[in-house]
Amino acid sequence: MQTQHAEAPSGRTAPAVELRGLTKRYGSIVACDDVHLTVPQGEIHGLLGQNGAGKSTLVKMLLGLVSRDAGQILLGGRSVEIPDPLAAAELGIGMVHQHFSLVNELTVWENVTLGEPGRPDPARTKALVRSIGERYGLTVDPDVRVEELSTGERQRVEIIKCLRRDPNLLILDEPTSVLTLAESRELFSVLRRVVQDEGRTVILISHKLDEILDATDHVTIMRSGRVVAQRATCDTDERELAREMVGRELSKWVAASALGDLDRLVDPSHSTDAAMLDRTESIDEDRFPVRLRITDAYLSEEGRPQLQGLSLELRAGEITGLAGIEGNGQRALGDVLSSLIPLDSGTVEVDGVALPTGRPGVMHRAGIGVIPEDRHQSGCVLDMSVAENLVMSTVNSVATRGMVSRSRIRANAERLIEQFEISTPSPDTPMRQLSGGNQQKVVLARELSLDPKILVAAYPTRGLDVGAIEYMTQQLHAAANRGIAVLLISTELEEILTLSHHIAVIHRGAIVGRMRRVDVDAERLGMMMGGQAA
Amino acid sequence: MSDTATRPAPPAPPKSTGVAVTTAIWWRRALPMAALYAVSLGIALTLAALLVMMTGASPWSAVEALYEGSLASPAAIGLSLDKAAPLLIVALGTCIAARAGLFNIGQEGQLLIGAAVFTTIALFMPGPGPLVLIVALIGGALGGAFWAGIAAVLYFWRGIPVVITTLLLVYISAQVVFYSVSQSWWLQEHLPTGGVMAPQSDLLPEDRWLPHFGEYPGLNFASTIVIALVLTVIVTVMLRRSTWGFRLRMLGMNRSAARRAGVSALVFGGTALLLSGAFAGFAGAAMVGGGNHRMQPGISENSGWDGLLVALVARENPVLAVPVAIFFGMLRAGGGFLASTGVPRYIVDVVTAILVLAVVFPPAFRLYQRQIATRRQAKALAAATSGAAA
Ligand SMILES: Nc1ncnc2c1ncn2[C@@H]1O[C@H](COP(=O)(O)OP(=O)(O)OP(=O)(O)O)[C@@H](O)[C@H]1O
Ligand SMILES: [Mg+2]
Repeated sequence: MQTQHAEAPSGRTAPAVELRGLTKRYGSIVACDDVHLTVPQGEIHGLLGQNGAGKSTLVKMLLGLVSRDAGQILLGGRSVEIPDPLAAAELGIGMVHQHFSLVNELTVWENVTLGEPGRPDPARTKALVRSIGERYGLTVDPDVRVEELSTGERQRVEIIKCLRRDPNLLILDEPTSVLTLAESRELFSVLRRVVQDEGRTVILISHKLDEILDATDHVTIMRSGRVVAQRATCDTDERELAREMVGRELSKWVAASALGDLDRLVDPSHSTDAAMLDRTESIDEDRFPVRLRITDAYLSEEGRPQLQGLSLELRAGEITGLAGIEGNGQRALGDVLSSLIPLDSGTVEVDGVALPTGRPGVMHRAGIGVIPEDRHQSGCVLDMSVAENLVMSTVNSVATRGMVSRSRIRANAERLIEQFEISTPSPDTPMRQLSGGNQQKVVLARELSLDPKILVAAYPTRGLDVGAIEYMTQQLHAAANRGIAVLLISTELEEILTLSHHIAVIHRGAIVGRMRRVDVDAERLGMMMGGQAA
Repeated sequence: MSDTATRPAPPAPPKSTGVAVTTAIWWRRALPMAALYAVSLGIALTLAALLVMMTGASPWSAVEALYEGSLASPAAIGLSLDKAAPLLIVALGTCIAARAGLFNIGQEGQLLIGAAVFTTIALFMPGPGPLVLIVALIGGALGGAFWAGIAAVLYFWRGIPVVITTLLLVYISAQVVFYSVSQSWWLQEHLPTGGVMAPQSDLLPEDRWLPHFGEYPGLNFASTIVIALVLTVIVTVMLRRSTWGFRLRMLGMNRSAARRAGVSALVFGGTALLLSGAFAGFAGAAMVGGGNHRMQPGISENSGWDGLLVALVARENPVLAVPVAIFFGMLRAGGGFLASTGVPRYIVDVVTAILVLAVVFPPAFRLYQRQIATRRQAKALAAATSGAAA
C-alpha cells in the first residue's frame, strides 16, 4: 500500500521510515507478515496490537536486532540495510526496549556511558544525566547502582540513555508500562516537543489506548503479524482501537480501567456495571478472617531503609490495593513475600502462624503466591520451556516417586495455555522466545493456577494488552470470590480502583492510610501517596 | 551447465515451511562446525608429525603406535576403556555441579583424597575382602565429597568463589597425599628387608581389588568402566527426569526464581558440589582398586584435570561425555604405547596434548565467537539504545 509515496524524489517529502512487505518467520510462526508502514518525518506513530502481534519483532528488524526474511526498509526515501544495531545507531535510530538492557551492578552514569567509545568521563556524564533528567522530567541519581533502583527508575535510565544522543528516529517499546500516569504524561510532552520543535520521528508501542490517543498522530494496529488497520489518531476513538486490536468489544468496566478513565472509576454511580456494584457493597470487616498479617516490618538494604514499620492485614476474599508512588517499599515487600530477603525485624503471619522470613520457599509453602514486579528476575526461568515454567514451584505435583512426568507437565501446560490464551508455538518452546506479554501471562497463569491462600500481584497488568487485562481483571476478582486474600501492588490508581475492596497507601516503607473502596476520595488518596497527612 | 536452457525451469522453491527452515538452520550451524573440526585436527596432526620427526622417528610409525596402543588389539581396547573410566566418572560429577551453576575445578584434588582414603581403608580395615572393598570405595567417595565440602562451606559461609577454593585445594591435597605415603604409620610401604622405601603404599591384598573382566591377551578391563556407564545412565536420568534435576537446573539458571520456588542454593547447590567431589573421589578410589592396586602420589596422571576437560568438551552433557571420555582414554592408552616405542615421553605428552587441543578447540572457538558476538551486540545495543553518535 501507499507505494506512490515511496518514489518521492526529494528528501523533503520522503517519509522518515517506510517499511515495505517486512516479513519474519520463526519456524512455523510468522511473527511479521508482509508489514507495510509509512511514518512521515516529525510525527509520533503509534503501534498497537495484542500480545504476540509482532510489534517488538517489527521494530527489532528496524534496529538490526532481528534479520528479516523479506521486505525492504527505507529511511528518508533511501533503501537501507540494517545488519546490526551499530548500523542502526549510525543511521540515527535509537530504541528503548521493552525489557531492560541495563547492567545491574553498575551505577546509573556508568550504564549511560556503556558502549560508548573512549574513556568515560564521570563528572561530565553525571552532569549530563542530571541535565537530561531535569529537561525531560526523568530525575534519577547518577551515582546509585541500578540494582537499587525501582523498576520505574530503571526505565528512566533507559530513556535517558536513549535520549542523550538525540536520535532521529526514536523507538519506544512499551516505555510507559512501568511509569506512573504523571510520569508518562511528562514523557509524552517531552516526545511531543522533540517531534514538533526538533523535527524528529517517534514510533511508540503501547497497550494503553489513552496514551496512544493522547500522544500519537497516526496509529497502526497489528494482529497476528499483519497490519489490520491504520488510522489518523484524530479520526478514531478508544473503542474502535480496542475493537480493531482484539477483534471484539470489551466490557465497559475493563475499557474504563484500560483507558484510564479515572472519573468514571471514582464515581461508581456513573456505571451500572454489575461487577462494579458488587464491589461497592460495603464490606463487613469481621466477616472475613485475616489471612496475612505483617506487623511492624523493618528492612534495610545496604543501609537504605526500605520498610519502616510496615503493618498490613489481608483478609480472605478481599482485594487490597496497595497504592503508592514507585520506590516506597513495594519492591522490598514483594521480595519479602517471595522469601527472597529476610526482615530486619517484625513478623509475617499466615493464618496466625509466624513465618521465618528469607528462607527459600517458606512463603510459597505457606500459600503465598506472588506475581513479582520483575518477571525476568524472579518470576520465570528464561532458558526453561514454557511448560516447565508453568510447574516451576510445584514440580512435585507432576511427579511420581521423584520422577517428573513429561506428559503431566505437558497436560498442565496445554490446559493453562488454552485457558490464559498464551500465544506460544508449543509448550516446549523456551520462555525466552515468547513475546513480552506472553511471558507475563505464563507467570500469571502459574501463580493463579496454584490457588494460593494469598496472592500478591505486583503490577499484574503491566505489558498486557487490553484483552488480556480484561481476563486478568476477571481472574483476580474470581480469586477473591474463591476466598483468596489478594494484595494488588500498583502505581496506577485506575487499576487499584478497578479491582480493590480496600485501599492501603504506602509511603516511605510504611502504610500511611487505609480506606474502603466506597469511601475513596481521589484528592485525599493523592495527598496520602505524596506523604501528606490526610 | 549449458543445458540449463533446454531443461524446463526448475520448480520454484517451495515456500519454506517450519521444518525446512529448521533443517536449513541446523545445516548452517553444523557445517562450519564440521569444517572447523577438520581444520583444527589437520593442523594438530601436522604439528604432531613435525614434532615426532624432530625426534628422528617417522610420524607414520607414531600414528601406527598410537593405533596399536589404543585400538589394534583386544587388550589395547581394554586399556583404553580402563583409562577412560575414571575420566568419565569425574566428568559426570562435573556435569552435576555445572547444572547447579557451580564451577568445581578441583577434581584432581578430590580424586587424590579419594584415592588416599580408599587405600587407607583397604589396607587397614579387617574383614572379608568384598565388604572391605565396598566400604573403601564409599570411603573414597566420601573423601572426595569432604574435600569439595571445604569449598562448599567457604562459599556458602563466606562467599569465597568455588573456582578459587577448589583449585587451591588441589595443591593442598597433593601435599596431604605425599605426606600420607611418606609416613610409616600411615600409608608408606613396609619392606621386609631394609631397602630404600619409595613414597608409595603397600600393594593391596588381591581380595580388595576391583573385579576384572577377561584375561590378558584377550579383551580385559577393570569393572570401573561398567560402573562408570551405569553411573552415566543414573546421572542422565536424574538430571533430566527427576524433580531433583529439575530444581538443580532452575537453580543454575535463575537463583531468585529457584529461591522463590523453595529451592535453596545452600541445600541443592551444596549437594551438587558434594556430589561432584564424591564422583571425583570415587574415581580416585577406583583407580587404586582397579588398576594400580597401591597408592602413589602420581597415581592420578592428571585424570582429575582431564575429567574436567571431558565435561567441558561434552558441554556438560553426561551422555556426550561417554564418547569424549573414550577418546581421551584412547589417547592415553596410545600415548603410553608410543612412549614404549622410544619416542621421548615428553613428546608423547605434547602430541596427546595437541590432539586434545584440536578436539577442544572448535567448541571453545565457537564459545569465544559467541562471547565476542554477545559483547559486540551488547555494546552495539547500548550504543543503539542511545541513538546515533552526535
Ligand atoms: N526469538 C524468537 N524465537 C521464536 N519465536 C519468537 C522469537 N521472538 C518472538 N517470537 C514469536 O513471535 C511472535 C511475535 O512476538 P513479538 O515479541 O514481536 O510480540 P509483541 O507484539 O511485541 O507482543 P507483546 O505485546 O507481548 O510484547 C510471538 O508469537 C513470539 O512467540
Ligand atoms: Mg513486545
